[in-house]
Amino acid sequence: MEEQRGNLERFYRNKYLFPLFLFLFFIWSVIATDFNPKTLVEGFPNLVDFVLRMFPPDFDAFPSLIKPAIETIQMAFLGTLFASLISFPLSILASNNISTSRLVRNTSKSIIAFTRTVPDIVFALIFVSAVGLGPFPGTLALAIHSIGMLGKLYREAIEVIDPQPLEALEAVGANKIQSIKYGVIPQVLPSFVANTLYRFDVNVRASVVLGLVGAGGIGFELIMAMRLFKYQEVASILILTLIIIILSEKISDALRKRIIGEEVLK
Amino acid sequence: MLVLNNVSKRLSDGRLLLRDISFSVGRGELVAVLGLSGVGKTVLLRCINRLTTPDSGNIVLNGDDNPVDITNCNIQELRTVRRRIGMIFQNFSLVKRLSVLENVLTGRLGYTDTLHNLFFGFSAEDVDRALNVLDRVGIADLAYRRAGTLSGGEMQRVAIARALLQEPYLLLADEPIANLDPNTSERIVELLREITISEGIGTLAVLHQPEIARKHATRVIGIKNGVVCYDGEPNISEEDLATIYGRTTG
Repeated sequence: MEEQRGNLERFYRNKYLFPLFLFLFFIWSVIATDFNPKTLVEGFPNLVDFVLRMFPPDFDAFPSLIKPAIETIQMAFLGTLFASLISFPLSILASNNISTSRLVRNTSKSIIAFTRTVPDIVFALIFVSAVGLGPFPGTLALAIHSIGMLGKLYREAIEVIDPQPLEALEAVGANKIQSIKYGVIPQVLPSFVANTLYRFDVNVRASVVLGLVGAGGIGFELIMAMRLFKYQEVASILILTLIIIILSEKISDALRKRIIGEEVLK
Repeated sequence: MLVLNNVSKRLSDGRLLLRDISFSVGRGELVAVLGLSGVGKTVLLRCINRLTTPDSGNIVLNGDDNPVDITNCNIQELRTVRRRIGMIFQNFSLVKRLSVLENVLTGRLGYTDTLHNLFFGFSAEDVDRALNVLDRVGIADLAYRRAGTLSGGEMQRVAIARALLQEPYLLLADEPIANLDPNTSERIVELLREITISEGIGTLAVLHQPEIARKHATRVIGIKNGVVCYDGEPNISEEDLATIYGRTTG
């Protein structure tokens, strides 16, 4: 009974303590970030002014923007491709059910976690200083940073596969590589494809941002136009960016549905 | 052909599950293993292809006058001995997203060169063999279906075909009919018996149906409290059955 009473006290302590901490942190954050609706309202005319200066969008600049726009998609494509090629073996080495050495597992998990923790823009800055301005450093940054997410999602897919077919393969005398080819890959393929397409989507958006630090693509055009105060050109770049993002989302959605829809039918 | 000498296995909690199990299985024999759930029948089967390693005793497979001690061999030898031991599971253990044909072909993996297979897949010869084996178990028409779309009885036939493609000396069947209806069960055991006899394989099948064992097995082994308590005629008497299952004869 005494013990239960102790538990009850702890229960109430936890119940009220956590919301209290949350509230105090909220107050502190509001003060620290100068979060003030009044400033926003006062600054509203400036906002309107900025937007008005964008009109009408300078569509004459459009033809010269097509190439950087395609470049953005190509950066995302190559970045995703290389990331998935590296993530696949890495995720197998990191998976608890396939990889047998704890050292290998933990090393692979650390690599995956590291690439996820460092923001892509940091990788982009590093690669820009290493290989110079242009889409190449941007592609490298996307590839490395994407390993973090793809490696983690691939590993999770590998860890939930049905272990029984793997045991059957072991029983026929198959070795590890053969078991992976015939037991692991068929089981994880749909989720691999879905995750990779999703990452391509994310990378199209990310490569726009990477352009801001000089890593090529349409983002680079955007920051140049901003710096030269060509707001009407900025507007047309933003419109084009929106088109690219919606288009890439539609394409990867269609592919995903095709592959996973097939899964449901068969 | 298969000889077990004093095989013992202790569980991780220290309980002695199998104690000095000794018996042998010859060519053309379908041996039914009976016993209560949890008595260690599955563990015994898994010891034979070393999915589980026994604590003591030895298990020798002699298929081609070249006896191999399964309990004391290295990884390479284990692979060559495993490819001669087919295993059939209660839940079929197929790769559901692969076709029937591909599932059957995995039975050849113990024979194929890893790198060659990785890039070029299975040889035309192996595909031919697989199609023949599928025909043998009566499901040639299902070769290109996805394994996951088949019925239980069909899946078990695929598993048997996979085991046959190993050109096995020995078949281990772990409750092969536990998930099947009575009719299908009967067919599957008939198939196992027919293959065992015509191919001259030794088959060891864990079963939970004494009637089926009586009807189709060529021999019955009963296990109780970790030891072999019956080894003889398939036409096992009610008293002996009662001993195996620990019932009092009524």
